[in-house]
Amino acid sequence: MAALSEEVLLVVKRVRQRKQDGTLYLMAERIAWGPEGKDRFTVSHLYADIRCQKISPDGKAKIQLQLVLHTGESTNLHFSNESTALKDRDAAKDLLQQLLPKFKKRANKELEEKNRMLQEDPVLFQLYKDLVVCQVISAEEFWANRLSINNVDHSLSNNKQEVGISAAFLADIRPQTDGCNGLRYNLTSDIIESIFRTYPAVKQKYGENVPHNLTEKEFWTRFFQSHYFHRDRINTGLQDIFSECAKLDEKGLKSMVFQGVKNPMVDLLSLEDKSLEEGYGSNSTAPSTSNTNKTVKENSNSAIIKRFNHHSTMVLAAGSGKKADAPNGQACETSSTDGNSRDSDFFQPPIKKVKIQDVIEYEDLHRENGKKTVALNLKKSDRYSHGPVPLLPQQYTTSQDIVNSVNCIKHEIASYKPCLTQVMSSSTASSAIAALSPGGVLMQALAQQAINQMVPNDVQEEMKHLYTAAGELLRHFWSCFPVNTPFLEEKVVKMRSNLERFQMTKLRPFQEKVQRQYLSTNLTGHLEDMFQMAYNKFHAWQTRRMMRKT
Amino acid sequence: MVMASEDEVSLLVIVVDVNPIWWGQQANREPQFTLSKCLDAVMVMGNSHLVMTRTNKLAIIASHCQESHFLYPCKLWKSGDGHGDDNASTSGDGKYELLSVANDFIAEEIKNLMSRTEVKGNQTDTLLAGSLAKALCYIHRVAKELEAGQEIKSRILVVKAAEDCALQYMNFMNVIFAAQKQSILIDACVLDSDSGLLQQACDITGGLYLKIPQKIALAQYLLWVFLPDSDQRSQLVLPPPVHVDYRAACFCHRNLIEIGYVCSVCLSIFCNFSPICTTCE
Repeated sequence: MAALSEEVLLVVKRVRQRKQDGTLYLMAERIAWGPEGKDRFTVSHLYADIRCQKISPDGKAKIQLQLVLHTGESTNLHFSNESTALKDRDAAKDLLQQLLPKFKKRANKELEEKNRMLQEDPVLFQLYKDLVVCQVISAEEFWANRLSINNVDHSLSNNKQEVGISAAFLADIRPQTDGCNGLRYNLTSDIIESIFRTYPAVKQKYGENVPHNLTEKEFWTRFFQSHYFHRDRINTGLQDIFSECAKLDEKGLKSMVFQGVKNPMVDLLSLEDKSLEEGYGSNSTAPSTSNTNKTVKENSNSAIIKRFNHHSTMVLAAGSGKKADAPNGQACETSSTDGNSRDSDFFQPPIKKVKIQDVIEYEDLHRENGKKTVALNLKKSDRYSHGPVPLLPQQYTTSQDIVNSVNCIKHEIASYKPCLTQVMSSSTASSAIAALSPGGVLMQALAQQAINQMVPNDVQEEMKHLYTAAGELLRHFWSCFPVNTPFLEEKVVKMRSNLERFQMTKLRPFQEKVQRQYLSTNLTGHLEDMFQMAYNKFHAWQTRRMMRKT
Repeated sequence: MVMASEDEVSLLVIVVDVNPIWWGQQANREPQFTLSKCLDAVMVMGNSHLVMTRTNKLAIIASHCQESHFLYPCKLWKSGDGHGDDNASTSGDGKYELLSVANDFIAEEIKNLMSRTEVKGNQTDTLLAGSLAKALCYIHRVAKELEAGQEIKSRILVVKAAEDCALQYMNFMNVIFAAQKQSILIDACVLDSDSGLLQQACDITGGLYLKIPQKIALAQYLLWVFLPDSDQRSQLVLPPPVHVDYRAACFCHRNLIEIGYVCSVCLSIFCNFSPICTTCE
């Protein structure tokens, strides 16, 4: 029955389903149909379950809508209202068209995610095949742990990364001629965003005028028409909403120039044009920033250059991510976006020092500063001299022994003369060689072949799969302890039966196969031990539970 | 066998345990194998190494209970070339002069070393850690004195007679790790009782540990197992590595334990839990 809190989006009367008259209701999350006169819904489908909708062709007499579910079932709805049937049906179809994609994505996304994970990780795929396909464990349990991990990753990676602004975004707009003396400008939302980020004054104007005074289309048309946008910004004093923007820009530019560049290593003023003498170089008069002395051409040139500089600084300021609200704000950014001037703007010398230090020093080449060490206070420091070495029985020599030995040795060495031709006899040498040859006394350990050379590769692969699968099952089993909730109790019992089943279906055949191949090595001993431990634990838990109950 | 070029220098440092007390007792136990025989075998090993390639270098250190002394090369070597020739121990058997001079020096030095031995009751342990440290320093010095373009590969061979001294544990471990850092192999040829410290040293640095069953065949074992250098060893069938018991001993009882408790401040190991560590509190 419809929940009271459900929002009904559309109600269509006179809809027949299975030859019964009734009403169709479209809610926020599901679609439902109830027969005429009754209160209940006989048919109700969640949008998430619906795979697609189909409509009967336009020429047909019966106007129908069919809903196909993921499971393959379909429901036919016949719109039987004489006058409005087609309109009703189309309204329902449009609404469904809007709603279905929203829910569809969610269901599919999970499935897609699972598929992707299985494809990417062959070990996981093998585990899935071994456990779920062979019905040892249910698919839900298998995905229970794994999906949650992935969802977390996704939410983390959703942190938006700020996209920079291309400096050429204005040029990229590329007006196209319309055929008859008009121009088409293609504006995308990206370009609009770039314009707003770079020229906050324009954003302000947009906020003020749209949608009260102008539509968006009109706003942008005026924007492109105004001289603000075009190259030659001659302030003709037109009543233009953008003339104010131009004035603001001028002000901003002037303040930037005034601020200057905070980099003590760069002297921009030395880049001015200086003429050597009259006739060499440009003008004999000192260059000035006032507009009056120049010719029209020079005026427009300097205007273009000014606009270029302004545009570049605005792009940089916007790209560095700082909010530029007022011209003052813009000015501050220019000083901080160049160089490494971290210190405040007041102190010139420290900035210069910092810059010089940056250039001449590399952090990783520094000698490690003597770290502050903590002295170790030991009460029994003699323990450190011998360390964790076991106490071995020491031979005790009496002092008499010592004296005798030393005298003996002194005597012997005093008359030592190397006799290198008689170091050893040939028989001792050959017995030593025999001991060192394969099979000899000293070479016994080599006789034991490494186990991985004796067992064929496919058996090894199967063992690896068995271990992974068994490990997964055992993990599920052991994670149930301590058993606190009834859910865990059920799970423990289920896991025990799962383990047994696994042992029967997978482990025993493998063991027999290994024995048939006459491999005497005990490959499954460890696995059996692990299973036995699990059974013991289960048994102990069960008896404890029985005792508690009685 | 890999032909060594002019640029590759192979340095072998042999550390011989000449503990006079042990060897004196040994002379009574087994008269056919005494320190003289041992030194002979070591000399044969040294000569063979020098003869293998012209650029091979050798050093022999005697590890005594009172000092560690270089038997070869000795300080008189460079300066005393003059009067070495005068006394012309031309042994007359046409031996390569380098070898005969070297052997004479070694014999001379060991005689001097033993003659100045004093009997002291509290110093009965071989100063093995110190000798190894001296060996490392010598290797380091030789490596610094190489000509441009020469590379050096060095290893240390320890011929051990007496038992381990537990008090040298810390120094020993430091030496082992220093050798590992410098890629210097430590081989061990043990005559009498197994040495856990040397087993660890060989395992960590990648050398060979061998306890020989027959002392009189020492020379044969040295030549067969320890003469080839590390590149050549991969091509030969040599005794397999020993299983090293890395278990630590607890500090309270000095028993070997497998699971223990470690103090987080001083890192001493105990077999039982106690809230206050007895070493550092």
